[in-house]
Amino acid sequence: MSAVVAEFRRNRLSLSYVIVVALLILLVVAGGFLSDRFLTWRNFGNLFQQLVVLGMVSLGQTFVVLLGGIDLAVGSLVSASTVFIAHFLEWRPDLLWLALPLALVAATAIGALNGLLTIVLRVHPLIVTLGMSSIIFGGTLMYNKEPGGSVPRGLADFSYAKLWGTPVTAIVLVAIFALAGLWLQRSRSGRSIYFVGGDREAARLNGLPVNRIVVMAYALSGLCAGLAAIFLTARTGVGDPRIGAALTLQSITPVVVGGTVLAGGRGGVLGTLLGVLLVTMLNNLLNFLNVSSYYQWVIQGLIIIIAVSIHTTKRRQ
Amino acid sequence: MVVVGQTFVILVRGLDLSVASLMATVAVLATAFKATTNDAIPMIFVAAIAFSAVVGLVNGWLVARRNVSPFLATLAMMIILQGVRFAYTGGAPISTLPPGMGFLASGRILGIPVNLITLALLAIIFGVVLHRSRLGREIFMVGSNPKAAFLNGVAPDRVIIFCYVICSVCAGIGGLFLLGYVGTVSNWVGQGYELDSIVAAVMGGVALTGGRGNIFAALLGVAVLVVINNLVLLLGFPIEMQLIIKGIIIIGAAAFYRTRLA
Amino acid sequence: MVTPVIELSRIEKEYPGVKPLDRVDFAVRPGEIHALLGENGAGKSTLIRVMGGAIKPNGGSMTYLGKPVSWQSPKQARAAGIHVIHQELALFPELSVAENILVDAQPRNGLGLISGRARHARAAEILAQLGVRISTHAKIDELPLADQQMVEIAKALVGEVRLLVLDEPTAVISGHEVDLLFDNMRRLKREGVGIVYVSHRLEEIFEIADRVTILKDGQVAGTGPVGDLTREEMITKMVGRRLEQIYPARRKAPAGGPDILKVSNLRAGHRVRDVSITVKPGEVVGIAGMVGSGRTEVAEIIFGTRALDGGTIEFEGRPLDQRRPREAIRNGVGFLTENRKDEGLFLGLPISANVMAPDLAGVTRRGLIDRRGERDIALEQIRNFAVAAPSPEVKVGNLSGGNQQKVLFGRWSRIARKLLILDEPTRGVDIGAKVEIYRIVRNLAEQGVGILMISSELPEIIGLSDRIFVMSQGHVAGEIDGASATEEAIMDLAVRSIDRREGKAARLEQVA
Repeated sequence: MSAVVAEFRRNRLSLSYVIVVALLILLVVAGGFLSDRFLTWRNFGNLFQQLVVLGMVSLGQTFVVLLGGIDLAVGSLVSASTVFIAHFLEWRPDLLWLALPLALVAATAIGALNGLLTIVLRVHPLIVTLGMSSIIFGGTLMYNKEPGGSVPRGLADFSYAKLWGTPVTAIVLVAIFALAGLWLQRSRSGRSIYFVGGDREAARLNGLPVNRIVVMAYALSGLCAGLAAIFLTARTGVGDPRIGAALTLQSITPVVVGGTVLAGGRGGVLGTLLGVLLVTMLNNLLNFLNVSSYYQWVIQGLIIIIAVSIHTTKRRQ
Repeated sequence: MVVVGQTFVILVRGLDLSVASLMATVAVLATAFKATTNDAIPMIFVAAIAFSAVVGLVNGWLVARRNVSPFLATLAMMIILQGVRFAYTGGAPISTLPPGMGFLASGRILGIPVNLITLALLAIIFGVVLHRSRLGREIFMVGSNPKAAFLNGVAPDRVIIFCYVICSVCAGIGGLFLLGYVGTVSNWVGQGYELDSIVAAVMGGVALTGGRGNIFAALLGVAVLVVINNLVLLLGFPIEMQLIIKGIIIIGAAAFYRTRLA
Repeated sequence: MVTPVIELSRIEKEYPGVKPLDRVDFAVRPGEIHALLGENGAGKSTLIRVMGGAIKPNGGSMTYLGKPVSWQSPKQARAAGIHVIHQELALFPELSVAENILVDAQPRNGLGLISGRARHARAAEILAQLGVRISTHAKIDELPLADQQMVEIAKALVGEVRLLVLDEPTAVISGHEVDLLFDNMRRLKREGVGIVYVSHRLEEIFEIADRVTILKDGQVAGTGPVGDLTREEMITKMVGRRLEQIYPARRKAPAGGPDILKVSNLRAGHRVRDVSITVKPGEVVGIAGMVGSGRTEVAEIIFGTRALDGGTIEFEGRPLDQRRPREAIRNGVGFLTENRKDEGLFLGLPISANVMAPDLAGVTRRGLIDRRGERDIALEQIRNFAVAAPSPEVKVGNLSGGNQQKVLFGRWSRIARKLLILDEPTRGVDIGAKVEIYRIVRNLAEQGVGILMISSELPEIIGLSDRIFVMSQGHVAGEIDGASATEEAIMDLAVRSIDRREGKAARLEQVA
């Protein structure tokens, strides 16, 4: 928790956070008034379960965005990982201990490859990750076009397990976020992401291993996509080559709503966590109110614009 | 057509992710007239262009005046348009169209496809605007150095907004042609165009950092992309192979321009 | 004979078509301030980069503290005690002073985690060593440039520093900020640090340096103790020819006629408090003063890019209400900004487009640009201002600093029929190009254009101006006749009314 507080102070992001938190509270209160099922422990459990996957992917996106980049390959990578996990486990359900680490390693490696390509080819990350996304998606389809595979009972149980009434997955998610926050704020390698995102040339002149840091951030994004895939496969029980497609753009919304700037160098994981909460809770509430998912899109678009407007206006003052 | 517009936006250091969504929305809008005769076509065009222009205006306003990053502003616009469209159609495809619309897409004048003629016409008009006119020069100036452009008497905000409007209008017209081609409007008509159009422009050597590029080269990028897609199909490769090859070419082309111009 | 801190011998660097370093010998002794002189493009920056490990030479050898070395990266050179302060500061504007100072040496606690408290304590300690008072919590972009530079120097003191390289550190600071910098350089020198000092300002070389090495076209044109060379000899060695006269003759009689520009009691924000200035046609009026004294702001107000809170501007006897550059341009006013890359040039566009930028209407026929007309005008300006470029189609980004500046003169001389505002017109320009620019300025004045020139280089202000206004803390502290002005008189006015609590420039003050 101290890391979170430290981030609060040091980055002076407090105002952004206050705004997002205020919106969250507003939502909870409004939700309580509008639906008697919203403010229940049960619903919040569901809510957390819903946000785990998005949360993980957004976390990975945060690293890359902090660096001044963007990762448009995460969606395909999540899909590919679910396919890999589900099919591997269908083949050898007993090798769970091998399948999951293997998936994580592969996802991390692909992420690292993204970073490496942006450096070696000196091409805008938008283009690189877009190209990679297409390649990964194509590769996944070659293997299997339809959802398939299965997961052993144990993994599925994990996704619904609860500890003191709270989903274990949510606890894991919060723990990972706390760890990520601590790492970003208090470790040398984590801090260097801010340096590189703030000014890459300056970082180089200051003797920081810029290339290594870039590759690391993209690798972490890959790792997070891999973790998200584990959560996702555990819950759905299948590997679906299309399941992650929407996640790519969805993962960017919480990052920017949480105050991380697309140009890099400013923001943090706490903002992203709040952003994920806000977006998920809003959708959840709208579901309760029977608002069609079409209008939810409109609202999500408006949120992006409003959030970013608030952040930029504040900065100009 | 979409690429022509996209080129304008990229030249002023932006990008427009909402084009595909706009294409589909315009297509839905066209069917909303429920017209069965060709009399409605001019009206459909006017409505489509007007609607697109408003969308472009909002995009441009957000980017130029509100300092929202182009990526986010147009991403939000994409989602919003999508929501509005689905809310209107309820998710079902529609196909009430004046018969003349099909002519736009598949008709021929003197043996040349109408859509090709239109594209050539648009490309020439906008090419001249971009490369020969005063406004075009101002676009390059703003893309190259917005601050300096301002100090030289150009109003960067207006130029940027103009580019987004052009982009949206191009996409809107593109949407009508696509509609004529497909005949029915599914809600996902045009999907993928936002990224393809950016990719084509980049392959045509338009720099994402702004201020450098050429409309005709960008169209060459389109041609290359189309040829690749066709080639992959002709060679009997499955669709997934097409995706992989496209991915490799995107990265490769961008890398090629990067090293050549660096 | 003491072992030099660093010794380079027969260093070569070659790129396709150019050879920025050609068998260069260079040595810095401990406790020595060694000035490195040369025109832009003479190879100074390349030499610095070789020493700092940012570039690998193609030939020659380098010894550091008596041992042969070959740096693989800036990191390695830095770890060995070489600290390079580049012209463009390598700072992170969004981050705090403390984090910038300790960028690569964040103090960690027992768990290996960075400790915020220790970070600020250590940073404050280093700043105290330098004798500057800057909050370690402030963000870099909240600091004036001079303070930012001190932060950059503070970074050098984090580890052990044996060789400090400063690339034109005084280009962006002036007055007592320079004094403070020099004090610190002398202190480091006493501690045995070798210092390489690059500057275009010869006066500073005589003030601070012990030895000087002059580069010309990638070769060493001369080296030796500072006292052995006169100012003229240095210039001759740098440009390879004798400069008969640096500054063109002043106008014979004071300019007559009505004022073309009359600024009265201008106020804007806290930077501009009370400024009254006049310019007559055909007259060069200099504005001197510290960086941050409100000079640039006054220029911006006149040109219409900054709002004013009070006061009046009269242009040709009529009240001027130009709130946009476009209107200023239409009125025949030009503004050559101090930061040519950020605010002046379109680096990716050709010379022709750059020259015509403010006058697109002039080459537009029926909405289209008359390319031949544009080319002709550009060619003419290239000739008029002796821009070294093969054709008007060359991208401005490929030109040297001096030629870029000449392109800007080519641009604005067409526009500024009445008044041309120059903000640091020779910043980052080599001495040969400087002399040409001085002639251009005087010629424009002789054609009847009123010139308002802001400059931090006092010799330039004195050498070129017919009249000089000295600004301090947003006020005009005094007006001096150009012909009789001295540097002392100007400095006296520039520092006279400094209010230590209010002035931004005064933030950087000596801790007693």
